[in-house]
Amino acid sequence: MLQLLVPALVLAAEEAAEEPSGIDLLIPETSELIAGIIAFAIIFFVVWKWALPAINRTLEARQAAITGQVAEAEKTKAEAESLLEDYKQQLSEARSKADSIVDEAKATAEAVRGDIVAKAEAHAAEITQKARAEAQAEKARAAASIRDEISALSVEIAQKATAGAIDATAHRALVDQFLQELGEME
Amino acid sequence: MTPEAADALKGAIALVGYGLAAVGPGIGIGIVVGNAIQAMARQPEMAGQSRTTMFLGIAFTEALALIGFVLFFIA
Amino acid sequence: MEQLILASGACDPAADIICKPENVNELFEFTHPLFSIGPFDFTRTVFLTFLAMVIVLAFLYFGLRKTRVVPSRFGVLVESAVGFVRDDIAKGVIGPEGGRYVPYLLAMFLFLLVANLFEVTPGINFPITSRMAIPVFLSLLTWVIFVVVGFFKNGFRYVLDIIWPKSVPIGLRWLVGIIELVSTFLLRPLTLAVRLFANMVAGHLMLTLLLVSGWVFMSSVGDIGARSIIGLPWFVFGLGIYLFEIVVAVLQAYIFTLLSAVYIQSSVHPEH
Repeated sequence: MLQLLVPALVLAAEEAAEEPSGIDLLIPETSELIAGIIAFAIIFFVVWKWALPAINRTLEARQAAITGQVAEAEKTKAEAESLLEDYKQQLSEARSKADSIVDEAKATAEAVRGDIVAKAEAHAAEITQKARAEAQAEKARAAASIRDEISALSVEIAQKATAGAIDATAHRALVDQFLQELGEME
Repeated sequence: MTPEAADALKGAIALVGYGLAAVGPGIGIGIVVGNAIQAMARQPEMAGQSRTTMFLGIAFTEALALIGFVLFFIA
Repeated sequence: MEQLILASGACDPAADIICKPENVNELFEFTHPLFSIGPFDFTRTVFLTFLAMVIVLAFLYFGLRKTRVVPSRFGVLVESAVGFVRDDIAKGVIGPEGGRYVPYLLAMFLFLLVANLFEVTPGINFPITSRMAIPVFLSLLTWVIFVVVGFFKNGFRYVLDIIWPKSVPIGLRWLVGIIELVSTFLLRPLTLAVRLFANMVAGHLMLTLLLVSGWVFMSSVGDIGARSIIGLPWFVFGLGIYLFEIVVAVLQAYIFTLLSAVYIQSSVHPEH
């Protein structure tokens, strides 16, 4: 190998056999020509039969992969869109349902409130009625008892007047007593 | 004139011949490149095509210099 | 390495200002075969030719061995090289019919690219395209292809259109016809081969002379003292040329392929 790369150490000492001429450089050497033809033919054959088909395969695979990915992305997008549509529909349904529920509840509450108010009013009226009746009854009873008392007192006074001497002071005392008793009764 | 002197003279004349052959293509290549640069500056979007055409122009202009080169070797 | 020895053998740093070999051919000819099979000499150039082939095949193999949706970084490089030749050169120049010539142009481009880059590869430092064999072979192949395609597509009208161009005033037709005939069938293959060959020869010569001169002068500082400073500009200049030659190596492979495509295109659509 080393000999291949650095072959010509001996060349320096070697004498050119004939007169060197510039045109020698322009005439291709047979061995080099043969080597060049063989090397180029092999490269051409490999490029033609293997390299270009390989690169076309790669490009096709890449194309297919990109197409597949695009199709997949489109599919996913369509799915997502239909899902979104579904969600939107569900959402609007839920909202309208909630609205109707709220309306219903409001109506119910209104009805219940009216009911309660009416009942309360009735109750209040009833209580007032009762209270008034009771007061009336109490008043009547009180009047009756006063009447009884008065009549008893009158009787008593009459008894006392008839029984004892009735002077002015005694009369006054009697009246005062009566009034006091009356006042105590109040 | 000795044969050696004649040889040396022949080589020198060949050299002058090659120099003369290179003058024309030198000027020509200068014109080609200069105009190509102008074209690229005027239409940068066509720069790729201008460059290719420039190389082709250089290659064709060069032909005379190359013939001179060959004659120099042959002489 | 061998150029170093060749050039310095005829160099006296104490007397010359640049090292150059007695005969330039010595820088390019390896007359000492490693072995021979009949008339076939397995020289260093032959070895490098096959090495270039192996490198191209390895490049393709490692870039394309797997069908991968997401390519590796190396795969991207190979794919972009293939895409460049296929889309920019073949289809861009020849047109939709260019697909048929992609294998030829791609093989040519990769082979020439590696062969040219040998010029600046450390340890090899020898462009095998600076030998006439490969440029001549490829340019003759292009010549055969475009002539055959021209006849196949247009029949005998192909030659008739070249020697009797209808778009030229009748008085000048014969003159333009002769020029076109010579240009198409003689100068095209010649210049195609010589362009590549000359660029590589010139690059190799410059690199060898400048870098070897720089090295010889600067390494013999013990013998010639301050005179070794002469080597410095040679060496710096040589390094600049080295970078330039990398560009030239790629560019010449591209131009050779591009011109092949253009010549084929002129046979596919001769009216342009």
